[in-house]
Amino acid sequence: MAGTAYKIQEHKYDIVVVGAGGAGLRATMGLAATGLSTACVTKVFPTRSHTVAAQGGISAALGNMGHDDWRFHFYDTVKGGDWLGDQDAIEYMCKHAPAAVIELEHFGVPFSRTEEGRIYQRPFGGMTTDYGKGVAQRTCAAADRTGHAILHTLYQQALKHHAQFYIEYFALDLIFDQDGACRGVLALDLNEGTLHLFRAHGVVIATGGYGRAYFSCTSAHTCTGDGGGLVLRAGLPLQDMEFVQFHPTGIYGAGCLITEGVRGEGGFLTNSKGERFMERYAPNAKDLASRDVVSRAMTIEIREGRGVGEHHDHIFLNLQHLGADTLHEKLPGISESARIFAGVDVTKQPIPVLPTVHYNMGGIPTNYHGEVVRKVGDDPDRIVEGLYSIGEAACVSVHGGNRLGSNSLLDLVVFGRAVAQRCAETIKPDTPHKPLPASACDEALTRLDGLRNAKGSLPTAQIRLDMQRTMQADAAVFRTEKTLQEGCAKMDKVFASFADVRVADRSLVWNSDLIETYELNNLLYNAVATIHSAEQRHESRGAHAREDYPERDDVNWMKHTLVSVDANGKCSFDYRPVHTNTLTSDVETVPPKKRVY
Amino acid sequence: MTALRTPLKTALALGSAKHGVHHFLVQRITAVALLLLGLWFVWLVLRLPGLDYAGAHALLAEPCNALLMALFVIAVFWHAQLGLQVVIEDYVHSHGWQLVLQVAIRLLCILGAAAGVLAVLRIALGR
Amino acid sequence: MAEFSLPRNSRIQPGKHFPASEGAKRTRTFRIYRWDPDTSDNPRMDTYEVDLATCGPMVLDALLKIKNEIDATLTLRRSCREGICGSCAMNIDGTNTLACITAIDDCKAGDVSIHPLPHMPVVKDLVPDLTHFYAQHASIKPWLQTKSPAPPDRERLQSREDRARLDGLYECILCACCSTACPSYWWNADRYLGPAILLQAYRWIVDSRDEATGERLDELEDPFKLYRCHTIMNCTRTCPKGLNPAKAIANIKKLLVERRG
Repeated sequence: MAGTAYKIQEHKYDIVVVGAGGAGLRATMGLAATGLSTACVTKVFPTRSHTVAAQGGISAALGNMGHDDWRFHFYDTVKGGDWLGDQDAIEYMCKHAPAAVIELEHFGVPFSRTEEGRIYQRPFGGMTTDYGKGVAQRTCAAADRTGHAILHTLYQQALKHHAQFYIEYFALDLIFDQDGACRGVLALDLNEGTLHLFRAHGVVIATGGYGRAYFSCTSAHTCTGDGGGLVLRAGLPLQDMEFVQFHPTGIYGAGCLITEGVRGEGGFLTNSKGERFMERYAPNAKDLASRDVVSRAMTIEIREGRGVGEHHDHIFLNLQHLGADTLHEKLPGISESARIFAGVDVTKQPIPVLPTVHYNMGGIPTNYHGEVVRKVGDDPDRIVEGLYSIGEAACVSVHGGNRLGSNSLLDLVVFGRAVAQRCAETIKPDTPHKPLPASACDEALTRLDGLRNAKGSLPTAQIRLDMQRTMQADAAVFRTEKTLQEGCAKMDKVFASFADVRVADRSLVWNSDLIETYELNNLLYNAVATIHSAEQRHESRGAHAREDYPERDDVNWMKHTLVSVDANGKCSFDYRPVHTNTLTSDVETVPPKKRVY
Repeated sequence: MTALRTPLKTALALGSAKHGVHHFLVQRITAVALLLLGLWFVWLVLRLPGLDYAGAHALLAEPCNALLMALFVIAVFWHAQLGLQVVIEDYVHSHGWQLVLQVAIRLLCILGAAAGVLAVLRIALGR
Repeated sequence: MAEFSLPRNSRIQPGKHFPASEGAKRTRTFRIYRWDPDTSDNPRMDTYEVDLATCGPMVLDALLKIKNEIDATLTLRRSCREGICGSCAMNIDGTNTLACITAIDDCKAGDVSIHPLPHMPVVKDLVPDLTHFYAQHASIKPWLQTKSPAPPDRERLQSREDRARLDGLYECILCACCSTACPSYWWNADRYLGPAILLQAYRWIVDSRDEATGERLDELEDPFKLYRCHTIMNCTRTCPKGLNPAKAIANIKKLLVERRG
């Protein structure tokens, strides 16, 4: 053991969940309800997780506001993902969506209501009826605070089921046994500065996305891709990391999210000529085309000099015509955000917006049970024993190359529930824990000791800023070989510069400087994986838009990228086939075709 | 050691006393009563400067005035007791002192009210 | 007795001063409460001069600029930076609020002074210990309680009017600004639930789907849990989300009277 001898407190559970956002909480409460002894380890108090910031809603073909069918939802999701999504998993998600949303309502989520007292549903981007013919009202909403409503409800349910939380514990590294099965996680208790080893038969990673790898993002400061870092450092690959969603409407400057529900309720985008330019790019869906399409259109408008503002560098989102009553009832949250962060009265003025990094389609590859998979020889779907992942941290992959708005909250609850069920099926309560090798924690402790005493020349914040600027400039909405290669070279340098990091805070209790350094390390792994994955994918698909390869190439690239990153930041690649088969005969595979809105 | 208890144990503590509405209601009823009786009391006091002892005595001995004065005294001490009870609950956290002070205040207020009512009775009944 | 003065080891000392870097154009001074539990030192007020020309508009931006560029040991909670997660609740210029939605320009003229939420145990710097607050939240059983089974294949129905009664309640982010602004909570936090938790309790009492209204009211009818509220209204004044906990508490009191006659 390196340096100081660290004392480790040991805890034994059947299963440990890392992260207490929507997915982590749904899994935790589900597991607690099944009688498996469950611990939820989270670096923030559960209701501070970033699910709380989701606004628009959760999709499910309930048909409360007109004709709908989960098969239409399935079709939309496959198409929205530009045929990179696994259709078996998409079928599973869309088919279980109505039950999942009804379950949430039964848990107490304060959904907005229709005149009949049913759950209110609004239109959202890319959501259609009859396979693209009509506009679907499928997104179930609690005003524009749906994520907040759902996250708080899931936390309440976890309380009801007496789930065991370890709050403000930061997961340092995963612990594996000799056979390569994940058997626990080592965590640091911020409040006391003590180390805790959570031993379990399985670990569920629900740590969310890594938006903070970029300079401007809608994500919280805590969205640092910790799960991706944990998994990459364990030598396992991540999947489809090149697919980063830019949300069309982040507030110009601040980056805070303005929900797509604004456009669902009738809001629209205009350029400096006052033109509703989306009519040109998506003649049918217009402002409700999928997010990648709208973000690209906005970027083109700005690039061609039709941006608004002093520097012609953003776009206006108009909702003044909706009227004060609608805004108050359906969109009160964004009205407040626009006032605070853009100084705009939405009843009178448009909101200045810009495409802003919002969601990571890529992540830890899993099957639709939430079990982490890797490619071994000819088997692309070999399960990594004891390791599970759900939510934005995972890549199931239901979102493919581009996620549809309101499918994320759905992903959380459907697969949070699925992983709980899977664990209940495969893990018997109170199974004795197999012994861990004596050296199981050595690597993690060496790393901790190194970072605690890091005396380099670069503060954490400096390296983080270098990374964010690089990613923002070179892994943006549009990408070319040239910018990506420059970006890869720069990111490799930034990654290497981490060896020279300096941690100023030497204390034990609530050492946020140390935690931010750990988070930075996780971000760096995710960032190099992202930009190198983007460089090697020679096609345009979903959110990955290559100007030098403007077309989708199904012959060569209809496959998932698997990227591994070694300790020096060197990336290596492999591929998994896309599951084009559906799970059952209830729905037919959607064959690839040109994607137009 | 409280540190070894769960936070929920501390938060739940002894549970709900399942009373408090009565206190809340009586405090408000006595407040309203005092407001109305206070108006009458002001009227009474304004009349006093023009009267000698015998005149004042006679005024208060009128049945209507005697009744209102008795009610006023009861309402004052009742309301004061309820208010002081809350102040002590707010700021005195030792159970021993709490008990001593609450009992003392109650007794004092009863004493004050009883003495006041007795005085009014004596005047009204002319003893 | 309630304590009205700080114990000796909590008295605040003057701290270090960090001048602005050369060439700073528009500086503003931030006085920030610092306390490190790893040392035996008393808390202190450090002062930082921040160049607003290179800083975002909100107090949180300034705090993070200090942490990133001047003093990495400054410790605070923060997450969403858009006023929905409730992490960065602190006392800015004497008012409990969220640092992420408080504009620096809206602070009082002169130095901006920043303390942790008042009357809470401090873990470190601006990080208060909210364990008891969260336990109080759990103690009111803040989940939907029903006796009638839910319909098997659809949602419970709720009229738009009934749903509208949850507005102004369900939006609470549990930031604890209101509770820690309440003098009654300062003196009796061990037994008084405080405005945030009472607002949460009322959120379930008025939910038309919840069938435990009576039990919930029974649990609240207590001289301390509920009736420590003396209608001081600091809660409503300070709520960064514009909610009205005082009104929720008044409504609970009203319901308790209502069910007696």
